[in-house]
Amino acid sequence: MSTPARRRLMRDFKRLQEDPPCGVSAAPTDNNIMLWNAVIFGPEDTPFEDGTFKLTLEFTEEYPNKPPTVRFVSKMFHPNIYADGKICLDILQNRWSPTYDVSAILTSIQSLLDEPNPNSPANSVAAQLYQENKREYEKKVQAIVEQSWAEGPEEDHVL
Amino acid sequence: MPQKSHLSLKWSHIISWNYNFYQAKLQEGALSRHWEVDLSEIYDFIRWEHDVISGYGGQVAVGGTQQFLCSADSRRNCSETLPNFDTVCSGIAGKMSEADADMASQGSDPDDEGLSDSSYQDYSDEDINDYYNYGPDDMEQDDRGQIFDPEAFEYFLFNKEEACQFLDEKVTELTQTIQFSPQVSHTIGKVLLQAHQWVLSDVMERFREDSVQLMVDCRILPPPSRAKQVEPPPKQCPVCLQAQEEKDLLSLACNHKFCTDCWQRYFQVQVEDGVATGVECMWSDCRLITTEEFALSIVKNDPVILRRYQQFAFNDYIKGHYQLRWCPGPDCDVLFMAPQPLGRKVQCKKCKTCCCFRCLKDYHVPADCPTIESWLRKCADDSETANYISAHTKDCPKCNICIEKNGGCNHMQCFKCKHDFCWMCLGDWKTHGSEYYECSRYKENPNIANESAQAQAREALKKYLFYFERWENHQKSLKLEEQTFQRIQHRIKEKVMNNMGTWIDWQYLLDAANLLHKCRYTLEYTYPYAYYQDGGPRKKLFEYQQAQLEAEIENLSWKIERAEQTDRGDLENQMDITEKRRLTLLRDFSES
Repeated sequence: MSTPARRRLMRDFKRLQEDPPCGVSAAPTDNNIMLWNAVIFGPEDTPFEDGTFKLTLEFTEEYPNKPPTVRFVSKMFHPNIYADGKICLDILQNRWSPTYDVSAILTSIQSLLDEPNPNSPANSVAAQLYQENKREYEKKVQAIVEQSWAEGPEEDHVL
Repeated sequence: MPQKSHLSLKWSHIISWNYNFYQAKLQEGALSRHWEVDLSEIYDFIRWEHDVISGYGGQVAVGGTQQFLCSADSRRNCSETLPNFDTVCSGIAGKMSEADADMASQGSDPDDEGLSDSSYQDYSDEDINDYYNYGPDDMEQDDRGQIFDPEAFEYFLFNKEEACQFLDEKVTELTQTIQFSPQVSHTIGKVLLQAHQWVLSDVMERFREDSVQLMVDCRILPPPSRAKQVEPPPKQCPVCLQAQEEKDLLSLACNHKFCTDCWQRYFQVQVEDGVATGVECMWSDCRLITTEEFALSIVKNDPVILRRYQQFAFNDYIKGHYQLRWCPGPDCDVLFMAPQPLGRKVQCKKCKTCCCFRCLKDYHVPADCPTIESWLRKCADDSETANYISAHTKDCPKCNICIEKNGGCNHMQCFKCKHDFCWMCLGDWKTHGSEYYECSRYKENPNIANESAQAQAREALKKYLFYFERWENHQKSLKLEEQTFQRIQHRIKEKVMNNMGTWIDWQYLLDAANLLHKCRYTLEYTYPYAYYQDGGPRKKLFEYQQAQLEAEIENLSWKIERAEQTDRGDLENQMDITEKRRLTLLRDFSES
């Protein structure tokens, strides 16, 4: 079944393959183009370096007029990421534009990792440590980076 | 010499006081609630000839101004025979012209120095004539000779078509007044007005200052720095990423081009979310908004979306318009339009909803909209009300029998021992009848500044509970008076059936009950006002007037509940006094 949303997602996927962005990777699940798995690699020279963080993106038929629901599957420690993996990012809510695609979403999330906004904390502990005790913050981040390597290799087919 | 406080007297007041008195005097012995003034003071002040007022025994009754405190019993000195009203009025008018001339000639008289108050300086003969033209019912006039009704409010009821027309006229007025190139189209005019709450003069002024900046601020033109945007890849829509013919791509002034299909789907999603006038360009971080004309050209082929778009856009215009409000009644499609948007009473003719124009909550003079909002929020707050232990019954202060209040009047009579007392303060009613009624006045503890934070908190709570108790008490009384109203209707029916007068003969009882409702309603809303009012002389004045009003309302309530034993003239006089007290309070304290 071809709908505008599905056609657009096919094009997003094609673009990702033809012009792969740096440090992110994503693909639709085998039997459902509306559900994607993705991996964001922790940016270099940040506490998140070397992390391989897994996410899911869930699209609706209103895409690209409505943003997908994006969620970290890997455990995260970040001021703007909730305990259940939901992300507090303006372009995924009120500043969404239909011109964004999967690649733009993932690179935005990647840059959010090292540029948190502690003023709208989704994780208040992380926000507090980020502002008041950088060393402790980095230690906690290091812990989840190591955790991300151990998580489910069964999702490796995405890569 | 008269005291300074008398200087705000106006000639028209004096006539109306005389008239008040004259009218009141006709109702035998009904003057007890009037404030009375020793006319000799006024007499000094305006240099009247004594014979004009000698018919009044040297006393003038003042219906509603607070500055005169004289002995309550002086009315007994009044002469029993009163001159014909017209004779008195023309006599006064004549004397006043003389007095005017007199004062003009003595303008620099050192004796008059304290008297050079503007309120009588701009008084002229025209005002006298105006006064007579309005007839004796119009008691209060402002300096221009206009009747000043503190509750008067000009508003219109519109249906949707009339409101649409009203909006269109505004837009046309704008587009015809401002000329520039390219000419402001109707649809851009709407955006400009909507961004300025439809205040035409604001748009005009900003347009004259800097028309380009205005268009940028209203998100019609892109900021000059962005005017040269990088073109998206040619002949491809950046949303669906499909190749498109150049002619099928549409854009706003920002030149971000998208295909018609994408625009349509975008609008569909936006309109389903209830967004209409605020739909932005699809480009990321481009904040230009789509005009109505553009939107309609996109959605014109989808009747469902078209209808919803028009409906939401209209709602946006109404919400944004400073002179228009939807009637808050359930499922009511009437609109209020007020040329001057004030916090005054409006009533819908269709669903009968009565509310404040500005905040659409229950009408609330003399309190203003922010005051009543804070008050209602405070009352809804559990932390305050939890502390309030509402007592529905009180014990008779004499025989200690438990009494439940079953009427609106605060003048209670114990069924058992027949003791008369005040429900508010439980004091003897005798002290309320003739003396100054002050159960409505909150007495602040003067040593509060020296006490601990806890004591201050307790005092704050006490203050709140004081006002809340009175506010709630009047609310309850209002409900109980609805029953009184029913009872009166029933009684009238009975009387008419028993051939005791016609229905029309007893109408005054219903009028009295309606008036009582109106007055008590105003009184109810004086308590939030007083709670938020700062101390000082104005608060004292307010509390004084509030106490006056409250005392009159209790009198009226008492008389209505015992209407059979009360003389009609007495009751009607009481109605007149009560309403005047109410109007005086509103005149002095409701926002203008």
